[in-house]
Amino acid sequence: MSDPLVRLRGVQRRFGRVQALAGADLDLRAGEVHGVLGANGAGKSTLFNVLGGLLAPDAGSVEIEGAQIALGSPRDAWSRGIGLVHQHFTLVPALSVRENLALGLRGRSLAEISRVVEATMERTGLRVPLEASVSAIGVGDRQRTEILKTLLRDPKVLVLDEPTAVLTPEEVDGLFDLLRELASEGRAVALVAHKLDEVLAVSDRLTVLRAGRTVLTTERVGATERALVAAMVGGGVADEIALGVHRMSLKPEVPALDPSTVVARLSGVTGDRLSNAALEVRAGEVLGVAGVEGNGQHELALVLAGRVRPATGGAQVPDEVAFIPQDRRTEGLVSDFDLTENIALALSRLDRFGAGPLMPWSGLAEEAERIRIRFDVTAPSVATLAGALSGGNQQRVIIGRELALGAQMLVAENPTRGLDVAAAAYVHGELARLAAEGLAIVLVSTDLDEVLGLSNRVVVMTRGRIVEVPKNERTREGVGALMLTGRSQAG
Amino acid sequence: MSAGIAPARAREAALLGLGAVTLTLGAGSVLLLLGGYDPAAAGAAMLRGSVGSWNTFVSITLVRSVPLLFAGLAVALAFRAGVWNIGAEGQLYAGAVGGVWVALTFTGLPSPLLVPAVLVASGLAGGLWALVPTLMRLRLGIGEVITTILMNFVGIYMAAWMVHGPLQEQRGVFPQTDRIIEAARLPALIPGTRLHIGFGLALVIAAVLAVMLRRSRFGFQIRAVGASPEAAAVAGRINPARVVFISFLASGAIAGLAGGAEVSGLTYALYEDLSDGWGYTAIAVALLGGLRPGGVVVTAIFFGALQAGAGAMQRDAGIPSAWVDVVEALVILAVLGLDRVRAARAATSTVEGGA
Repeated sequence: MSDPLVRLRGVQRRFGRVQALAGADLDLRAGEVHGVLGANGAGKSTLFNVLGGLLAPDAGSVEIEGAQIALGSPRDAWSRGIGLVHQHFTLVPALSVRENLALGLRGRSLAEISRVVEATMERTGLRVPLEASVSAIGVGDRQRTEILKTLLRDPKVLVLDEPTAVLTPEEVDGLFDLLRELASEGRAVALVAHKLDEVLAVSDRLTVLRAGRTVLTTERVGATERALVAAMVGGGVADEIALGVHRMSLKPEVPALDPSTVVARLSGVTGDRLSNAALEVRAGEVLGVAGVEGNGQHELALVLAGRVRPATGGAQVPDEVAFIPQDRRTEGLVSDFDLTENIALALSRLDRFGAGPLMPWSGLAEEAERIRIRFDVTAPSVATLAGALSGGNQQRVIIGRELALGAQMLVAENPTRGLDVAAAAYVHGELARLAAEGLAIVLVSTDLDEVLGLSNRVVVMTRGRIVEVPKNERTREGVGALMLTGRSQAG
Repeated sequence: MSAGIAPARAREAALLGLGAVTLTLGAGSVLLLLGGYDPAAAGAAMLRGSVGSWNTFVSITLVRSVPLLFAGLAVALAFRAGVWNIGAEGQLYAGAVGGVWVALTFTGLPSPLLVPAVLVASGLAGGLWALVPTLMRLRLGIGEVITTILMNFVGIYMAAWMVHGPLQEQRGVFPQTDRIIEAARLPALIPGTRLHIGFGLALVIAAVLAVMLRRSRFGFQIRAVGASPEAAAVAGRINPARVVFISFLASGAIAGLAGGAEVSGLTYALYEDLSDGWGYTAIAVALLGGLRPGGVVVTAIFFGALQAGAGAMQRDAGIPSAWVDVVEALVILAVLGLDRVRAARAATSTVEGGA
């Protein structure tokens, strides 16, 4: 095999007390799609940021076509053909898609930019609404715009950090076709994705990072899921995850309910993105809500969780609903609050914490400590700021807090988005266990596998309406068709 | 947060404040050298004029700190709730007008009734001044940074009009009100000094705010809404609009007390240029105090000492008192800069989230 196009060697990088990279290696060959795997905090994003010149490593080297690049210089990385598509969107919301694309091509005339944009759209099949304001387009279009913006400069190396997190299955398939095609034109494509099957489906070779080091690089052919997971998490945890079992088992504070009890009922709910939505949620079931992002599932979740009163229609929901909101960092937690304060945010309204004008801080701190231990939150103490925790640990805090509410219903919105395999398995295990204990669970997710794998019943949301999926159509294809058309294939 | 200011934890806030003061005094000394002055002589004059004797400290420094203390607490409370109230200056003038009007109108009341009435009126007037930007934010979604600044001008010129028109002294010569009667004046806090009970009232308010923010449910709601209105609403089921409404008006009322206490405790009359920009200096006081009531008390007295010392510096060392204005502005810059450094260091020392 020829020399690699990109060669990273012994890359180290420290953030404060955290050694994010402790000697990572990565080779990218022309013509390949290279999947990078690792748990949250393994250093994947950091490694890509070093490659893209956004971060200067403390040690190590980055070579492109055998030549050293200037470390920590995005400009040099760019000019040598490295195109980085960010995990977080870097578009200007107030500008149109066309204007955002033009930002990536500063220094050329508008007519020339338009020509390049049209040509690239034509060649790649990436279609975006050029005149729409970025603030008005969905996440899928934003993602395509990001990728298009990078492709306009015709990079030799395309690096994508979690490009699939917000896409539907069809969009993921389309993206992967595109990545394969780009690779076949002689580029090197590297990507991070959290879902193992996705990475396996698209990659030619795989590299696994653990705790900032490269622990495995292998051809796709011959690599097993089990071996990869073992490399990612290390030690004996892998078997449990592979079996889908988690060691955690504890008695939740949930009142036992007759499984047929209807816990929440919506009828004719119309309003913000909801149109005549009707739904019943029963004790002990996991009701999966699938749909393309922006079809009203977020609004549905807010109504079911009692956070929003619908403009019209009937919504009978319990007074207290446990809620795992879509965005941990802005809706679920206050980053500048410590764990006790974050737990107090929801629990201080419970009767058992009294009703006086003062906060019962000592009781709340004890409760926070209980939750920290029970849910295995990796934090030195309950005085740790929530913003300092990893995504998986933030989610554990939220789950622990919301379950302590003792509600009869839990609404979870994309509860595993951005979590690594182990953390996601933990969340899934908890949801299944809680349903078995009699909790009514509404699982709103754009991840079809998650919905299909955990739910007793599945509904699809299209343009604000709720359509129940018949049992015999509960497959990726069946649900996918419903998501797009709003009609079941049978009907 | 829009202005990028988070209330730091107590120890961090103290370190941040000390760092900012050190930086600022260092930069201020360089300015003095460039101007051909002797920083040592300036420092000596400043210390003499602010803390040179017990009486200097109480009757000049502490007296100067009273309006800064009220207004600083007002700004700190608002900022903690995520309300960028830049309007303490206008609220202060509104409070001064309200207080002086009651003092001039209800002259038949005995002192134990009249003094509280003056203070209550100034608080109400300050709150009323904050009501306009509050409603514009909550009903129309207009940012309070702009509206409070604009209401400052309205307040300043409203007061100016009052002393040229409806509330002008009987003689009609100077743009000022008549002196208020004895019964409307705040008694001395320490007999034999000029320090009036307004200082004590401000300390009481600081203590109440400190306990409220740290211990009370409503204080926790204020902090939650200030730190993240989304999380407060979704996870905490708090109504951010209610919290903003109450804290904004309370902030205006406390700023109004700054004006009321000044006219009834020190000047005994309302003048056109009553405030030396205290409502703006209060922003520096609040930031340097880490948006914590205890910190605000310390920094208000520090700024009171700076202003007291400025007079002595001008007299004894010939240094223009404008130097102190420069130092006050530099303090804001230093606090903002150091806070950003602190936030950046905190961010990079956390456990990586994304992968």
